[in-house]
Amino acid sequence: MRRVLITGIAGGLARQVAKELLSRGDHVVGVDYRELKNREPELKDLEVFQANYNKTVIEDIFRKNSFTHVLHLGRVGNLKESSGKRFDLNVVGSQKIMNLCVQHGVTRLVVMSTFHIYGAHPANHIPISEEEPLRAGMDFPQLADAIQLDNMAATWVWRHEDVHVCVLRPTNVIGPMLRNTISELLRQPTIPRLLGFDPMMQFLHEKDLADAIVLACDKEQRGIFNVTGRGVIPWTTAIEIAGSKSIPLPSSAVRFAVKYFSALPEYLVNFFKYPCVISDKAFRDSFGYQARVSIAQSIETTVAEARELARQKLLAKHSR
Amino acid sequence: MLSKFVDPEVARAIDALPNHINEFGFDPWGFNPEQAKIYFSLAKLIFEYFRPEIHGIENVPAGRCLIVPNHSGQFPFDGLVVAVASLLRGDPPRLPRAMAERYFPTLPWVSESFARAGVVVGDPINCRNLLMDDNAILVFPEGARGCGKTWQHRYQLENFGRGFMRLALQTESPIVPVAVVGAEESIISIHSSKTISKLIGAPYFPIHPLAPILGPLAYIPLPVKFHVYFGEPMKFEGPFDDEDQAIDVKVKAVQDRVQEMINDGLRARTSIF
Repeated sequence: MRRVLITGIAGGLARQVAKELLSRGDHVVGVDYRELKNREPELKDLEVFQANYNKTVIEDIFRKNSFTHVLHLGRVGNLKESSGKRFDLNVVGSQKIMNLCVQHGVTRLVVMSTFHIYGAHPANHIPISEEEPLRAGMDFPQLADAIQLDNMAATWVWRHEDVHVCVLRPTNVIGPMLRNTISELLRQPTIPRLLGFDPMMQFLHEKDLADAIVLACDKEQRGIFNVTGRGVIPWTTAIEIAGSKSIPLPSSAVRFAVKYFSALPEYLVNFFKYPCVISDKAFRDSFGYQARVSIAQSIETTVAEARELARQKLLAKHSR
Repeated sequence: MLSKFVDPEVARAIDALPNHINEFGFDPWGFNPEQAKIYFSLAKLIFEYFRPEIHGIENVPAGRCLIVPNHSGQFPFDGLVVAVASLLRGDPPRLPRAMAERYFPTLPWVSESFARAGVVVGDPINCRNLLMDDNAILVFPEGARGCGKTWQHRYQLENFGRGFMRLALQTESPIVPVAVVGAEESIISIHSSKTISKLIGAPYFPIHPLAPILGPLAYIPLPVKFHVYFGEPMKFEGPFDDEDQAIDVKVKAVQDRVQEMINDGLRARTSIF
């Protein structure tokens, strides 16, 4: 029986992966620095610990369970956390997890990175492959921890013989269970776009990414892999599919507002200005991966609940 | 609403193009045939303003190819005229994907409209991917240096870069040399102001001789007549990662051919209007 550790278990994506592995009879342990609330019935066999990845509790979790597989999905993208805390969790914590994997004879480590580290840059060609430079760090030091996490994991790919390391760099991940910036943005009734810009974007449904992670967990191939969904569309088309109105805003004003008033990460603004279209050819070729959820379905399922809530609110208001 | 402005000839030509778009009508670079119809209808008006005489359009092959013209006239109207000619006079119609300067995505509206009309950032990987997809590529190996050349250097080519030749060798694409005669006289520049170009972040800033009197009006292109000569496709063989010196010989062959065609065109021309 495989014994699997999943980090970031409070997140929607990790829970989906956990459900899939539990249904296949794997023993699954989850860990997160946040609390896992509202546990679904499918997750009753899941063992959960609340711990920081950079603290000693995690060591004991490794001692007690002789894990065969570790899925490190718990990257903190949330910029509400201070950069110091993010560095501790993402860089120091990930390094600790890697060392524990080596010590405790883990055979497979899957690390979740992000396509944000490529950066949305005017000179970006289309599509971007895994070998390309990570331009994001040049303009946005907020991404330093994400880039360092990815770099560290990339060196593990070849440094550690016994642990087979696979790094995934997914594009914009959206889905009904996710509360990340891009999913929340799509759920708004009115969605901002930058005046005069309408870059091409990709979207990956949480279900497809969960499948990709399970696939990566099952196989042994080492390496760094981009993961994308099906097709590329402009941001305004995504807004149309979401059934929202778009409001064009001058990019200088948006940059200012984001810098001083909001929790939205500043580097994200560029992703609504310049394209960052990635290619997952390598992942498809070596893992036999194929995204199944169409762009339209991905966006529609992501916004469905919010739209239904808005509808009910409207009904309640009128029946009063 | 804008679809009212679509020229039926443009629409027919774009509908006849091979279809490489997704279910929403876009390719990965952002090309969209429906919006391209609007932009090319507008481009056709500019094309007609210059009353171009097109020669040798049958030299543009059906499959992948690199269309390589001289560059001049301060604004890339030469590119526009070559693209419209390939679309409306080509048999079959071709929509050449123009390789643009790297700063174009930073310009609001330009970035969006150019992308919808099929323009891409001039990058070797973009170019290779599009050639592998059997597109026609429009590339100006003189770059911005060519476009911004001043009056005393008219119809003298700036040295061609090597990038296009390496891509042609790598993808086994024929090169169609093109001479555009007439664009040099559309907007005249006697000097490129380094101060202003640095200030606005442009590669050059043309000073028109009449700018002190007419101001911005001096930059309205004169209704000169364009003569566009498409030459016979040139095929090159050899390793694409050969030494610069070996590539330079092949590049020079193309450059010399374009210069020859320009010179012939200038001799044949009786009036600039």
